[in-house]
Order: sequence, then structure tokens, then C-alpha cells
Amino acid sequence: MSDIFQFNGAEGSGWSQPEPIIDDSLNTVPVSLRRSNLPRWPRASEPELVRHYTLLSQRNFGIDTGFYPLGSCTMKHNPRINERIVQLPGIDRIHPLQPEHQIQGLLSIYFEMQEMLEICAGMDQVTLQPVAGAQGEFTAIRCIQEYHRSNGDYQRDKVIVPDSAHGTNPASAAMCGYEIVEIPSGDDGRLDLDALRAAVGEDTAAMMITNPSTLGIFEPEIAKAAEIVHSAGGQMYYDGANFNAILGKTDPGRMGFDAVHYNLHKTFSQPHGGGGPGSGPIGVKEHLAGFLPSPIADREVAEDGGVTGDGYRYFWRTPDSTIGKVQQWHGNAGAVVRSWAYYRRYGKELELMSEHAVLNANYLRHQIMNANSDKRDAIHCMPVDGAPAEVVKHEFTLSMQPLKETTGVTGKDVAKRLLDYGYMSPTLYFPMIVPECLMIEPTETESREVLDKFAEDFLTILSEDPELVQTAPHDTDVRRVDEVLAARSLVLRKEFD
Amino acid sequence: MDQLPNLGREQEMLQSMGLKSMDDLFSDVPEEVRRTDPLPLRGPQSEEEILADAQHLLGVNIDLDSRPSFLSAGLSRNFVPTMVPMLATRGEFLTSYTPYQPEVSQGMLQAMWEFQTMVSELVGLPVSNVSMYDASTAAAEAITCAVRVKGRKATQKGVVYVSQFVPPHRMSVIENYTQGVGIELRTLEHGMDGRVNLEAANEAQGACAVYVEQPNAFGELDEGISQLKEIIGENTALIVGVDAVSLGIVEAPGNYGADIVVGEGQPFGIGPTAGGPIYGLFACKKDFLRLMPGRIVGKTLDEDGKDAFTLTLSTREQHIRRHRATSNICSNETLIALMGAMHMALLGPEGLQKLALRVAATTEVTKQAVTGIPGIELIDPDTPNFREFAVKLPGNAVDAVTYMDSVGVLGGFPMGEWWESMSSCLLIGCDERTTKSDIDALVSSLSEWVEGVTA
Repeated sequence: MSDIFQFNGAEGSGWSQPEPIIDDSLNTVPVSLRRSNLPRWPRASEPELVRHYTLLSQRNFGIDTGFYPLGSCTMKHNPRINERIVQLPGIDRIHPLQPEHQIQGLLSIYFEMQEMLEICAGMDQVTLQPVAGAQGEFTAIRCIQEYHRSNGDYQRDKVIVPDSAHGTNPASAAMCGYEIVEIPSGDDGRLDLDALRAAVGEDTAAMMITNPSTLGIFEPEIAKAAEIVHSAGGQMYYDGANFNAILGKTDPGRMGFDAVHYNLHKTFSQPHGGGGPGSGPIGVKEHLAGFLPSPIADREVAEDGGVTGDGYRYFWRTPDSTIGKVQQWHGNAGAVVRSWAYYRRYGKELELMSEHAVLNANYLRHQIMNANSDKRDAIHCMPVDGAPAEVVKHEFTLSMQPLKETTGVTGKDVAKRLLDYGYMSPTLYFPMIVPECLMIEPTETESREVLDKFAEDFLTILSEDPELVQTAPHDTDVRRVDEVLAARSLVLRKEFD
Repeated sequence: MDQLPNLGREQEMLQSMGLKSMDDLFSDVPEEVRRTDPLPLRGPQSEEEILADAQHLLGVNIDLDSRPSFLSAGLSRNFVPTMVPMLATRGEFLTSYTPYQPEVSQGMLQAMWEFQTMVSELVGLPVSNVSMYDASTAAAEAITCAVRVKGRKATQKGVVYVSQFVPPHRMSVIENYTQGVGIELRTLEHGMDGRVNLEAANEAQGACAVYVEQPNAFGELDEGISQLKEIIGENTALIVGVDAVSLGIVEAPGNYGADIVVGEGQPFGIGPTAGGPIYGLFACKKDFLRLMPGRIVGKTLDEDGKDAFTLTLSTREQHIRRHRATSNICSNETLIALMGAMHMALLGPEGLQKLALRVAATTEVTKQAVTGIPGIELIDPDTPNFREFAVKLPGNAVDAVTYMDSVGVLGGFPMGEWWESMSSCLLIGCDERTTKSDIDALVSSLSEWVEGVTA
């Protein structure tokens, strides 16, 4: 379809707005600063634009249109009540610098969310300011950095990450100025404690790790790992990307972590929106709490019962040794409110959510790996489990290496062929320690029927003519896209004649 | 629980795997780290109950539209066209992930490519990414990007000059993003009239970058900023933070030499939303392209030679480059940028100009009215303003705001919260929706307070 710049009506703006309250306001801008040429934006009417964006939306795959087993991303259903609530003027039309007594309801939601996240992760204090998981990582590492400095530990200049870690971990630590020490995973894909012992020392600032790991398996020796890092004087950082797997079952506090980030857009149903917005609160243990960004929601007993009627007056508090700000305001308040609505749906039954996420992952893994014999016979080559384990947590990895070796069909080919069947592709080629990796996370919001059908279709693909798979997708909006051409001859905007 | 399709079928699913209970699924979690007690949280609620609680809690907040409001400080009490949230919340957009599979994501990719084009046109620079978190992180990452690009040739290694009048909450973000990576921030001085001291700007020659805002923290437009590039030279990047709406009437920084332009996108697309989600604009010259942060969409072809869009230059990004990435940014603010694109497209060029003229008009009328109150003076009397202006009051600005609040007016932002020395200064913010009766309410409540303190 043609682009939005095709609309170039003669009448100017498609959108009516009131006249300026005085006529000559252009005179307030000094002549030398006045704009010479207006931007070449489209000139469109509302009906044209509504159709344009509706047609674009129809060329986009979302959870609403099909199964989205994208590992590490927790693409669960996004309840629509969330969207309704954030349209209320009490959030949409609020300025973050309004006096506290005007935003008591918002502050109470912040307080409730902080408390809930503290409980779920076994942490002492949460801030909701970071606006994405990566920013949460950055914020927590900044706090740890200031903690070490406050102890005079300036020599701690290294952060340890396993080779299976999300790319954001090393990137976030590097943004704080840390050198990255990558430790190899063991042959079973699990954390190698000997490698960790060899890596820690007086220069260790922190270790960053996710558990369950990116292979979807629980690290059984996590408490020992924490002991090793702590005894060297380092801090333990928990990447909460995989938090959906463990709510109510265990928590990073028990595992020995000092700091954690949460992805509200994964675990708590903030929609991913094509890449964002997210929200990446962090929780820390008491010894780090003073360094958190400012401000944090707090409360005190209100003599008059409080505006919200719960007996409290809420206020913003600045932590004693705060690092300052990582986002200009109070984080993505809209995402916090959506996630609050989601949390309220489960309350103390959040455990149920994790149970079903893990149930679905194990079930799907079982359906794929234990196909009946008819199905198996037709298949060129079965995938190999990325990590041999009795049970996985909320996701699992499959290596398509054997298929590649026997037929030439790669993991990417299979991923693209899945698009033809109406599925989003699993996460591809991550973690890098699994060759030809597909990482599959079904989430708790998919029914058994969907999982059965996906397993069946997945196995069918493995029995298809290799050429058909290698040339996939065939039935999508566009065929395989030339990414090399895109990077070689960069066309990053519309050029006008 | 209405979110779990397999509720009640757990046993059959477990049995088919040869497992007995849910606990078997968690047998790999060692006892010593296992939680045995239930989460001490409240009980679950139905959708109906949640909505009622939300209406109650958010209902006790006082929203900006419910009274005359003059609080801006970098955000806009805008009007978002009805079409925007309705279309952006279509499930195909709302519930999609980052478009890593372009074959089934052409809709969002094309919309972002169009967004890049509109931002590029707005600021007068050839390249735009698909958004940063907000204006502050955009500014911070513009600085780290400029140091990467200009660092080698710079004679003042790692040095970046930052305008004295960047608001402290934004400055704090910049400090956090630059403190660990060998960047030294120095202050670019302003003169007594609030304008950048162009003499002092000479000192920035040979530095990696200069960061200024147009308008500055007091809403002041500074003609001198258009001469900065000439002063600092080719080897020093000029980064300009803008009020995006002002660019309907104020020159695009790309046209006076800016290398990178950043700013708050929020006025296009979404209400102030208590400060987020909003989105940061980030645009630059081509020589910054390969070291810039954030996602970028490129136009290409599919196998059949059909036009197609895809994310490109990903080798800069964390999922590929890991600790050598240009930024850790992964989730950004795409959906809000999409809303911004819709809003910009609906405005069109003339609509943008009119929007800017509306803001300029209310700023001017409010400024004239407020400075007509005896005892109140502009901090910089001869400087043009856009959206905001700062005045000196005969007393503490917090007291003035408290008084105006008691009579139902949100009178502005007491600047002592930013700079202690400005405790008697009030930052008054206007927008396209400010009415004459709003201005009357502001003037009368502020006059009453002034009379009270000067009596």
C-alpha cells in the first residue's frame, strides 16, 4: 500500500482547531528565529487517516490475532480493562508535578504496587521510576555502584554475567562504566559455579543473572552462587525478565539477591505496543534502598482518614543518598496503573498465574518432544532440547541443529514457516549457547487446544519438503524481507521530489 | 479467574505428561529457596470491582482539565484527537512485540518509517529513530552518542558543555547516564538576560558536544543559539533540546547547524499521563547514524521485489553487540510514537503552525496579564517566550501556589524546587487550550495573594 504522504489535500489541515486567542502571536518569535519552511507532513482528512491506520493495523501480527510464543518476552493476553482505566482523566490528565494532595489516588496506587512487588520478590523497597527492563537494570547497577563507592570500594570495576544472559545485562552495566566478565555455562546449560569462583574477586561489583535462566530452567545452585559473590563483596542482581515463572513459588530475596528488576510489560500485562512502552521497576534490599531514584511513594496515618478513605496520607519521599533521576518524572505511570488493575485481578492468587505459565510450557514441550510414532516417522529430524531437564519453567529452548545438518533447514527457516501457519515465530537464535535455537514461551493465557495445534503444526513443518520451508514464508503480507539490502542502501525516510 | 483458559484442566494436562500435581512442575526449585506460605496479598477481584476501585482512586485525583491550570514544566496539557487512542489501541498494534519478524509486522514498521519521516521533517535532520523513553533520556543518550562520534577529534577529550538552564530533573538523568563512561560535563554559562553567553561559548571549541535547550527552562527563546554552531565548529556536536510544538513557528534546529535534536514528543499523541508513558524524540545528521541509540526502520524489498520495511542497523543494539552496544535500550515507546505519528499526520503542516500560534498566543496574553500585576516582574523582561515564562514574586512561590490552589487555580510551578535561589520565582505554563477565563482566574488569584503579602 502507498505511504501516508500520498495524502496531500489542498485544504490544509484535516483537523479543526480553535483560532489563536490573538491574531498576531507570530510576532512573539524574533524574525531571525522564525521557521522558513513548514515540515512536509501529509495533508489528510480524518476518514483518510482512519482508513490508513486501520489498513496498517491489519498488516500487523499481535497476541490478539494469533499465538505469540516469543520466548523471554511473555506475550500474554492484555486485559482490556487496563486500556479503559488509563483513559480516565485521573491518570491521563495528571501532571507529575501537581501538589501531593491533588494526586492522592495515584500515590496510593503507586504505594500499593511498590508493596506488592516487594512482597512478590522478597525485597525491602521498590521504585517504579525505571520505564523499561533495561532501564531497571541500569538503575539497579547505578545504585550498587553508589553503594560500593559509599563503602570506599572504588576498585570494584567488574560485573559478571553468564554467557546466556540477555544482551541488556552487559549493555546496562557497561553504561555505568563497568567492565564485563562473561562466564561460560556448564555443559548442561546451567550456571558453572567453578567458573564463577574463578571470576569473583576484590574487583567484583556485581553479578547479573536471571533465574529461571534464558534456557527456561531453574538454577538449583543459585543460593550457592549468591554466597560466592557475596563472600567476595559483590552484589547479586536478578534480571526479572523471567519472573512470570516463579511468583508465589520462590523469590529473588530467598535466592540471595540484593536487587531485582521487574518487567511490568511481561509479568503484569502492560501491552508491548510494538516495542514499548514498558515499565521496569526495581526492588532492593535495605542496604541499597537509600540509593534509589527519587521520589518513592510513601504514606503516614492521616488524622482525618485521608482523601482515598483508607486512613492514610500519601506523599513522595526522597531516599537519603538517592542517585537522582533516571526518567524525568515518576516513570511510566500509565503502565503502573494498568499493571495495578492486572494485579488486582489475581491478588494473592498470583501463584496461579505462574503455575499455569509453567504448566503450559511443560505441556507444549511434551507435545512436541513426545510426538506419536506416526508423526515422528514423517519427520526429517527431531529438535534437541536446549537443556536437558525433567521440567522447565515458563519457557524452553529447542535446537534445530540436527535438522540443519540433515536437510539444510535452519531455525530461521522453521521460524519463517511458522508465520505461514498463522503463528508468531519463537525467539530466534537466543540464547546464543544453543545452536539454531528456538525459544518458546506459550504463557498462561493460551488454551490446551492452541498448544496442541501448535505442536502438531510445528511437527508438520519438520516433515515438509525442505525447499518449501527454506523459502518460507509464502502466505504472508510480504515474502522474506531483504535485511541486507535494507542495511546496505539505507532508506530511513521518505524522500520528496 | 477469567484470564486462564486451562483452569480446571490442570490434572488432565499433568497426567498426559506423567505428572501428578502442580508441585511436580516446581520440583526443581530447591527447598531452601522455596516459598511455603501464601503471598500475603489481598483477595482477587472481578473486572467490575477493579473498575469501581480505579474510578474511586483516580477520581480523587484533581485532573488538569477540572480547573484553570498553568503547570507545564516540559509537558503539555494538550488535546489529543479522538481518533488517536481509538486506533492505537487496535489489538494488532497494541498487542504486538517489537517487529523482529517483518513479514507479519509491515503495519507497525511502515507507521514507524512514516514517523521517522515526520520527525525528520519537523526538526530538519535526515535521520530519526523510533523513540527514546522521554526528553531526558533522549538528551542523555544524545550526549553519549556525540561523545562516541566526536571523541576522537576532540581536543577537550570527553568534555561536553551543558546549558546552565537545563531543568535539574533532566540534568540528573543526564548525569546518571554520563557519570561512568568518562564524560566530563561542564556548564555553558548564560548571561544576566537569560541568553547563552556567546563569548563563553568559545570555550566549547574542541569539546565533544554542546547541549542547549530552545526554549530554555524558563520558556525563553534565544536568538544566539542559532549562532552557536558557527562558534563551536564542525568538530563539536551541537545538540538542541526543543519544544516540539514550537517548531511550527520557530526554526528547525537542523537548519541552523544542529547535529542532534532531541525533545519531548508528548504534546503529539498522548496526555501528560502523570509523566509517562511519553516518548523522546531523537534525530541526527547522517554521520551519527551508526553510533546512535534506539531502533530504526528502513525501507527495502522482499524476495518478490515488493516494497517492504524492516528494522535495520541492529548491529548497534544490545541483543547483538551486548556490552559494546551503543545503548542498552530495548523496549522503547513505540506505541506512543505511533500515537504521535497519527496526531502529527492529522495536524498537517498548517495545523502544526496553527497549534504553535495558539500556544504562542496564550503565552503572550498570559504574560502580559500577569506582568500587569503590581509587584510581579518577569525574570528576564526583554526575552521572548514560548509556552512558559518565569516571574519573580514578592514572596515565596510555594505560598503563592498554595493560595491559588485554595481558590481552585493550579497556578504554576514554584521554581525553588529546582533552584533554591529562585524560591520567589514562579514558572507559569500555557498551552493551546488556555482560555481567557483561565487567565482571568490566574490573574485574580495571584493578585489577591500579592495584595495579601504586600499589605
